[in-house]
Amino acid sequence: MGAWMNGSLQGYILVAMLLFIIGLATVMLRRTLLMQFMGIELMLNAANVALLAFARFRGGDVTGTVFYLFILGVAACEAAIGLALVIALFRHRKTTDADRADSLRQ
Amino acid sequence: MNLTSQNWAALMPLLVPSVAACLIPIASLDKDQDTVKSVRAAMFGMALLALGVSFFYFTRIWATGQNVFFSNLKMDRLGQFSGIFVTVAAMMALLQLWDHLHHEGWMKGETLSLLLFSAVGMMLFASTTNLLMMFLGLELLSLPLYVLTATVRFREESIEGGMKYFITGAVASSCFLMGTVLLYGLTGTLELDGIGTAILTTGADPLILVGAVLLLMGFLFKISAVPFHQWTPDAYEASPHPIAGFMSVATKGVAVIALMRAFPGAIGLHTATGQRVGMALAVLAAATMIIGNLSALPQTNVKRMLAYSSISHAGYLLLGFVAGTPEAYTGVLFYLVIYLAMNMAAFGMLTAFGLVGEHTQFEDLRGLGWKRPVLGVAAVITMLSLAGIPPMGGFFGKYFIFKELVKTGHVGLAVLGVTASLVSVYYYLRVVVALFLEQPSESQVREASEKPEIQSFLSTTTVLICAAIILAGGFFQNLLVDGFAAKALKEGIEILR
Repeated sequence: MGAWMNGSLQGYILVAMLLFIIGLATVMLRRTLLMQFMGIELMLNAANVALLAFARFRGGDVTGTVFYLFILGVAACEAAIGLALVIALFRHRKTTDADRADSLRQ
Repeated sequence: MNLTSQNWAALMPLLVPSVAACLIPIASLDKDQDTVKSVRAAMFGMALLALGVSFFYFTRIWATGQNVFFSNLKMDRLGQFSGIFVTVAAMMALLQLWDHLHHEGWMKGETLSLLLFSAVGMMLFASTTNLLMMFLGLELLSLPLYVLTATVRFREESIEGGMKYFITGAVASSCFLMGTVLLYGLTGTLELDGIGTAILTTGADPLILVGAVLLLMGFLFKISAVPFHQWTPDAYEASPHPIAGFMSVATKGVAVIALMRAFPGAIGLHTATGQRVGMALAVLAAATMIIGNLSALPQTNVKRMLAYSSISHAGYLLLGFVAGTPEAYTGVLFYLVIYLAMNMAAFGMLTAFGLVGEHTQFEDLRGLGWKRPVLGVAAVITMLSLAGIPPMGGFFGKYFIFKELVKTGHVGLAVLGVTASLVSVYYYLRVVVALFLEQPSESQVREASEKPEIQSFLSTTTVLICAAIILAGGFFQNLLVDGFAAKALKEGIEILR
């Protein structure tokens, strides 16, 4: 336990995995589109935490750090598209409840 | 930085559509784009020209037989193959979009721009062995597709389908990303080759296994294999027909090719990890065929039926990975070419008959075959080929894969595959029956006589071209196999290690 608390690689990976699982659970369990959307952002950023930890413990590997910047950009694009879709759906429905998005069911 | 002509040759096919995609929104700023036909024609012309130039570059590199590259972008034979594949699919989708968007009365330039960006992402995804580039390609191909699904935004179901596709797709890309990061962290490289050798030397670290599974999930989601298939019917039903066709063909195609680079390409078949992946793929392929075919049976909507049919075709494609011989992979590539023609024709047929919005039930097809006989015959050819009836191309695609399965001792899976395609005959023939053997109801006749005649020259042309490709695949398949698929495979990656 002690090594984990003192900034070792395992500690970072553990945190990243927890964030990833929390994000996944949020997407699966919450029924509000905005919350699901935040879960997705959490999953992306869990990967970021793991990536930066790996890069640091590999002696400041440039590949990892650059990859992190790319992920930030991609996450921003995803946020733009996700929010646009939520707003477009809200204009029709006046709600962001995912359970009421059921017109495509058979 | 000095770029050699080799670098430019690899870069140009991606650069031209990207530039055009940036320029098209400027044309679509014009408020009169709904009313002035010349503006719309200019946008479509620009997009078509960009894809044509890209196609021209690919065919020229293919003809010289070079393996050109630009840093991580490797335009080897497999990359060129997927480039040609994607540009042809995108051009067909573009021609069909012209008709479809006019039928919908919803003409927006950004649709074309997004289509081009998505095509560039697909080319990137399939022509690199670097996981970072692969992730960027994956995002560049999926983000525009989420929007394209919801592009007809006055329709509520359209946005809902886009939203569902977005949520599930974003989760899948996050899984792909997490897998990439874990593999990078534990092996210290983003190159697939390096990861493959590192796995061989260090053995199966549990975290590496987790990373590989997450990565595989990302691929399987794009191939729409069971259990990552639930998004498919909703997304296909919600999107415009040409986009649904493009999604089903090109996304699946490049995901299969990228998986080929990762699975037999980097992680050999004869290693312990490779065998485990093969086992997993065998189980998933069987489940995909069974669930895809059985869910397609009771559908009343043609687009949902085609969505489940595309799931079952993902199963047949995965069977090629289970067999794992070079001939099987050649069969997979050949099948992809025929599959492009079959699905672009099947979705294009809906556009060419002028069915928009909710009017994609089987009843809406009644008697249309007699009205447009040429188109009807092309549709019949497509459906027979999808079902795998002998003289058509679709039969030979399945035949090549099943033959290798039997050779490598997977007789049970081959029998299952044949049974599954026998079951599929039922729901494909329902389309043929509706087109030629059923009478339209009186209200349908009345509605049809009130509406102006449907203009669909371009989409009809694409359907006929697709039917020609299907017939060519049936009668001259050696040409396609030896000249195209086998070449792409042998010179693209070395499968047998």
